[in-house]
Amino acid sequence: MPKLLNRLHRASRIGYTALCVWLRYKTPQWWDRFRGNNPETRDMRGIHQRNADQIFNTAVAMRGMLIKMCQIVGTRSDVFPPEYVSTLSKCHDRMPARAFDEVRDVVESELGKPIGEVFAEFSETAIASASLAQVHKAKLQDGTTVAVKIQYPDIDHIIQTDLFSSRRIAAIYQRFDKNPMDFLPLLDELQRHLRMELDFRREVESGDKIRTLFDDDRIVHIPEFHHALCSRRVIVMEFVEGFKVTEKDEIEAAGIDASMLMPRLMRAFNKMILAFGFFHADPHPGNILVTKGDGGFPEFILLDFGLAKDLPDGFGMGIFELMFSMMTFNESAMLRAFKELGFKTKNDDDNTLIHIARRMVGRSDSGSFQGEFTEEMTDEMFDAIRENPVVEVPTDFVLVARAFSLLSGIAHTLGQSANALDAMGPS
Amino acid sequence: MESVQLEYSPEELMSEDSYESPLYGGDVLCHGGYINDQYVSPRGKVRRPAIDAWRTRLTEEGQPLIHVPDAYVPPHYPNYEQAKYLMKEGLVQPVSRSLTTISILEGFGARIRDVALPDFDKEVVEELSGTALAHLDKGLFEAHARDEAGHRDQGGHKQMWEAARDVGLDKPDIPGDVLMRLMGGGTSNRKAERIYPELSAQMEQTIISMANILVVETFAEDVFAWAMELLGDEEVSADPKLAAHLVDCVRIDEKPHVDYLTVALSELRGRTLISQDGKRTFEGSEVVDHIFSRLLRGSASNRPKEARERLQQEIHEQIQDVRRAENVSKHFESLDSGWTFPVEKDEQLEILTKAA
Repeated sequence: MPKLLNRLHRASRIGYTALCVWLRYKTPQWWDRFRGNNPETRDMRGIHQRNADQIFNTAVAMRGMLIKMCQIVGTRSDVFPPEYVSTLSKCHDRMPARAFDEVRDVVESELGKPIGEVFAEFSETAIASASLAQVHKAKLQDGTTVAVKIQYPDIDHIIQTDLFSSRRIAAIYQRFDKNPMDFLPLLDELQRHLRMELDFRREVESGDKIRTLFDDDRIVHIPEFHHALCSRRVIVMEFVEGFKVTEKDEIEAAGIDASMLMPRLMRAFNKMILAFGFFHADPHPGNILVTKGDGGFPEFILLDFGLAKDLPDGFGMGIFELMFSMMTFNESAMLRAFKELGFKTKNDDDNTLIHIARRMVGRSDSGSFQGEFTEEMTDEMFDAIRENPVVEVPTDFVLVARAFSLLSGIAHTLGQSANALDAMGPS
Repeated sequence: MESVQLEYSPEELMSEDSYESPLYGGDVLCHGGYINDQYVSPRGKVRRPAIDAWRTRLTEEGQPLIHVPDAYVPPHYPNYEQAKYLMKEGLVQPVSRSLTTISILEGFGARIRDVALPDFDKEVVEELSGTALAHLDKGLFEAHARDEAGHRDQGGHKQMWEAARDVGLDKPDIPGDVLMRLMGGGTSNRKAERIYPELSAQMEQTIISMANILVVETFAEDVFAWAMELLGDEEVSADPKLAAHLVDCVRIDEKPHVDYLTVALSELRGRTLISQDGKRTFEGSEVVDHIFSRLLRGSASNRPKEARERLQQEIHEQIQDVRRAENVSKHFESLDSGWTFPVEKDEQLEILTKAA
């Protein structure tokens, strides 16, 4: 399909989906208002399910950026209705794969050789497929089994189109809704992240860097890369197997101590975020596998380093101080931490930050290390920030908060707690 | 004769004296304040006499108190002479790290408010009314937590140590590995093994938590002395008077913590604990003494060894000139007190005062 037609097709499909979702929520509200009914009492499950199904179908058909958005929703069982979570979580690694012929060209053009020259065997069926790429199992000429990650051939164009359409739709929505959410900063962020994710060479470098960080700690395993066979659109790496981190029953059946999943996972991410200052910023369940480590404790295999990120010096300590002050209900310390992290107000007015800090510490009169920074407090903080648009939130903070938020979603699915401070604290 | 008050509400135990002026650490508002130019600890108006009353009752009952002899307290590493020597050689980072770590550990003391207490009525044979134990979740733990980590607009010990560091060392750089070292480098968290599996997990964990914090608070006496001497030294401190005073305020604040934890654990020693299934009883003294001795020895003997290895490594990392690094390292070692834990076996530890 010519690019212009393709762009029109995608824009109209996304726009149509957005309109249907909006109308499915608005129409009952209008009807209830007309009839004098209380909209709060209406059973919304059917509407949620129909909307989730339509969004999923659109995302699967359109792929690209929409899948990324669905992945975020699919991990937030604490925020979104179960119909959305169960439906959209399928976007993690169960996306229908592209036909082999479509991706074969990418492999051959990136490696500069026919597939048969590099690989002794190459499975034509993908073992995983997601928003930007799919993975095939293969065997090198020396018999080593590997996983080959291949970028979809037309993904650059798809993402550009989706971002353009989403921006237009967000602008139209904001014009028509009385209390609109501001989606544009989110789209800006998404655009920045997608650009990083599309260069696989960066992903290989990031994976190598994180592997060194866990050299002396067998809590995390990073698959080895075959560097000579990695390029901008193809990665060839060690083939690893494990359970998806949310498959609790299977993990327990394998004799792995499932009760230590979240404490150890939080510890691994604490190390990256608070101590190393370099972290895997996309910890959705499809990117975290679990194997049996020493003593039956879980060991994590981290995949997909497209969104790995360096943090500025001192940023980890700033995040620690913010979490600590939130959990100990110390608003003056929270204010200092906000400033250290780079939160800004118009005219350098502290009152807005103080207001946010007060709102966060105002929920109770005593603190608790049992509380989750991720679930309760980030939501509360972003609510407060949304209501006080003069605040400039540092990009790195948004990424860190999102990572903790994804971990919180995993914890929720496992019935455990994503308690960052408890996982790092001295006993 | 007037009866002694032994029951208190949480509000009473957290009530404040009427300070004439607040305590500031640099530009950070801290807790407590001054009366007649003397520093007075926070939340002490009723807490102080309450702890005294519970202790008096305990000693009148003839019960001994848990006590750690000075000889068991490991000296801070590096000691005052060593730390001063490093600073004069331009190595401020170890001291900055040490003070930052102390501040974080103090803050983590606030975790005491999250201790899930056992059902004392079901798990202890004797009556507990009018004891410190009965007030742990009625103000004692919460007051302790607020003292350590601050609350609302007031800084606690965490912020006071940070202020002492920044005032004394003139806002030094914070080493980037502080949190990594705190998390234990390569060691991954594992489940703690039960010591008395017949007791409820809450009972065991409550004793462990209180004993652990009491050991830390008792060892802190030497940390205070070290920090006051170092940060109060005009040769190396940017503001010796204020820096040492802030540490002294923390020292004064910690006394009620040591006192109430000592009384509560000693109360539990004098009682009988009931197993989870209700079929067995344990002498409180057996359980408390065993757990306390184990923690005491572990804390005293492990930490100096680790700290020593790390500091030697740091000297060599920080000083590029190999010969100079060797010389500094050698002289640094010569200033070491060579302290070792004086008792061979847990059973030989003396952890009690004599009964009244």
